[in-house]
Amino acid sequence: MKMTPALLILGGLLVFWTSVFIAIFLPAMTMRETPSDIWQPWTAEQSAGHDLYVANGCSYCHSQFVRVFDSGHGANRVSQIGDWYDQTPAILGTERTGPDLSLEGGEHPDDWHIAHFVNPRNTRPQSLMPSWEFLGHDNIHKLTALMQSQGGLLAKRRMDGEQTDGSGGQNYWKAQATAAFEAGPDANIQWLHENVAAPWRAMPNPYQADQAALGRGQLYYQQFCIGCHGSVGDGQTPAAKYIYPPPLNFTELDGRLWQGKYIGGIFYYQVMNGITGTAMPYFKRELESEKIWDVSNYVAVRFLGYTDAGLYPYGIGVSYEDPSWRNPYLVSPATQPAGRPAAAPARSPQ
Amino acid sequence: MKRLWEHIGQTNSASAAYLVAGAVWFFVGASYGLTTAIHLVSPELFNNIPWLVFGRTRPIHVNTVIYGFVVSAGVGAALHYVPALLKTRLWSERLGWLSWLFWQAAVVSGPICFSLGITQGREYAEYTFPFDCCVMATLLLLLVNLVMTVANRTEKSLYVSVWYILGMALWTAGVYPIGNVMWNPPSGALPGLLDSVFLWFYGHNLVGLLLTPAALASAYYVIPRICKTPLYSHTLSLVGFWALAAIYTHIGGHHILQAPIPNWLKTLSVVDSMAMIVPVLTVLVNLWLTARGRFGMLWNDIAGRWVLVGTLWYLVTCIQGPIQSLPSVQKITHFSNWTIGHAHIAVLGFSGFIALGAMWHVLPAVAGREIWSRRLLHIQFGLMMFGLAGFFAVLTTAGLIQGHAWYNGETEYRVLPEIAPYMALRAMLGLFIIAGALLGLINVILTFTRGPRLAPPVEIVRPAPTGQGVAL
Repeated sequence: MKMTPALLILGGLLVFWTSVFIAIFLPAMTMRETPSDIWQPWTAEQSAGHDLYVANGCSYCHSQFVRVFDSGHGANRVSQIGDWYDQTPAILGTERTGPDLSLEGGEHPDDWHIAHFVNPRNTRPQSLMPSWEFLGHDNIHKLTALMQSQGGLLAKRRMDGEQTDGSGGQNYWKAQATAAFEAGPDANIQWLHENVAAPWRAMPNPYQADQAALGRGQLYYQQFCIGCHGSVGDGQTPAAKYIYPPPLNFTELDGRLWQGKYIGGIFYYQVMNGITGTAMPYFKRELESEKIWDVSNYVAVRFLGYTDAGLYPYGIGVSYEDPSWRNPYLVSPATQPAGRPAAAPARSPQ
Repeated sequence: MKRLWEHIGQTNSASAAYLVAGAVWFFVGASYGLTTAIHLVSPELFNNIPWLVFGRTRPIHVNTVIYGFVVSAGVGAALHYVPALLKTRLWSERLGWLSWLFWQAAVVSGPICFSLGITQGREYAEYTFPFDCCVMATLLLLLVNLVMTVANRTEKSLYVSVWYILGMALWTAGVYPIGNVMWNPPSGALPGLLDSVFLWFYGHNLVGLLLTPAALASAYYVIPRICKTPLYSHTLSLVGFWALAAIYTHIGGHHILQAPIPNWLKTLSVVDSMAMIVPVLTVLVNLWLTARGRFGMLWNDIAGRWVLVGTLWYLVTCIQGPIQSLPSVQKITHFSNWTIGHAHIAVLGFSGFIALGAMWHVLPAVAGREIWSRRLLHIQFGLMMFGLAGFFAVLTTAGLIQGHAWYNGETEYRVLPEIAPYMALRAMLGLFIIAGALLGLINVILTFTRGPRLAPPVEIVRPAPTGQGVAL
């Protein structure tokens, strides 16, 4: 075959445009997009947020679709055609340095997002996201509005759900949490405890608070908690400026323990499920059971000088644990509220 | 001494302009790459500096390297060797300069516009409408110039490098407006999921029908010349050329394989991804059999070394590419730094190395001067080879860590500390590539200004007469 200019140009055009017909024209003619079951139109503010998302290259670290085999953030619904109906441009993304955002709406209340946009390390100490403070207050609110729209009707339910049976949305619980906080520490902690499922309230920490466990707990605290609650656990952090109700000052728990002694199960439940309506997120998708118990022991020992680890009830001992271990953190020398166990109990069924 | 504009219109002046631009943009693009990499190590080093924020520097890096460096250098070399292969002069040097001007306008819009958040935001298609028009103007001007050069040739047969360069301009002039949805100027996008089909048709053909033909044209030119042998097979050239056009155009769908696009489109993209073995191996076999027994000549000529190693990176890229298009592999590799590693060996390793090799090969003829420092070229090669090989190893490792961790149920946030050391290594390795880019830029400038003059100017001849089965 001799390559002539005519063959080169006409042949090149023929092969190329045939391929374009297959790979571009056929999909364009046959793909029908109608709004999916969760689709919702954007408001003007959300649309402006999307413009900022595009302009600032958020898509280079965040994807916009959930895959069949994904787990973690947003993985309760696989993306379907029609989820991006009428979005221009719908940038699905090619990298996940940060989480997928297609179902982000309602995962957190607005104040968490604002603290996070101003400086991502405020709420996520190991985040690699740049600070967006330079965009200014208005733009951060637009981006927050966009985030809360991600997931359409699912997001709307997470934000605006009104049921009181625990399935209420961020806005419903925000009102409850704010009222409790404004009623003072006693009422606030009472409210927090009452909203922990009953079996967990009277559950002591089943992990021994030995030095290794407290060391691990400290690591998790630094990786997840320190941004809002701070290195001394008082909640006086840069993040607190943007968050309301503000992060809990753990020392306020002193003297306000459930039945005067229980703390482990309550911490566990709150770390696991978060406190919807407040900036306290759930961590059940990031931390496995032992890690949550370890961080619970760490917070209790470090900021209260007390943990209920080793208290009754317990069953058959765990094989690896040292049965001679006695909890040294049952007595707090600084403050000794009434009702606390005064000394380590013998480890035997009561 | 002549003023700059007095060179316009002189033989090889448009070629020289593209080559210098390529060298400049390589350094600029690589510097933006380092800035971007630093964000992934220390996100607050450039805290609240809008024009240095990650989401803005990343597209500057990507577009500047692809359009500014690789394409400029490749086209620069081609504007020299296409007329040489056709035994004529470039039809119009002035038209060449005009195309150069439009191209540089598009490329410079990256650092300027993206820094200000003015972007269409679709990966690889970020240039805004006016600059899309500049790209199109360049492609059409190049096409006219090349076709007219072909029409005015004195050499009857068309060498394979000429096919690829013409194909590059012809196809990219079709790919670019489709992928950039240029009939919708404000957003450059379609609504909904269909946009991704258009975007990744474009994104993949940017590599397949722009970078690849430019690089292969250069390799087909440089290797027979340095080895002083005829091309091994005309038939393989034909197969490789037509298969590239027929197969590469179908595989963009593998970038969105895990999104709900039609199943037939997914199947098509995976099958044709595997079929890429055909155009890749035919070309590589053809080039390597041309050089058989003479790899030493290729390696010892520093420009040839770049091209030779570029073909090796092509092999690695094009074995990796089809494999990672498989759904079971992509389950782990997609969304991770594995893909970033792949992109770097494709753009810098394959098309970038060959563009540099072609640039150093034609530069003495274009400048009429000997390369200012060949020793510097060896240092540049060593720095870049080390930097890129390290990049590939580190990013692939980080990608596997991410992909397996995610598949094992860990969240993206949990995986960040696991890849931290690799992100630091990656930024450090980037310094080697930037150092290489800087040395190259210095060498180009000093070649033009202080290189020993070649007298008389070398006459450029096409590759040695072709042998059996190579009648063109």
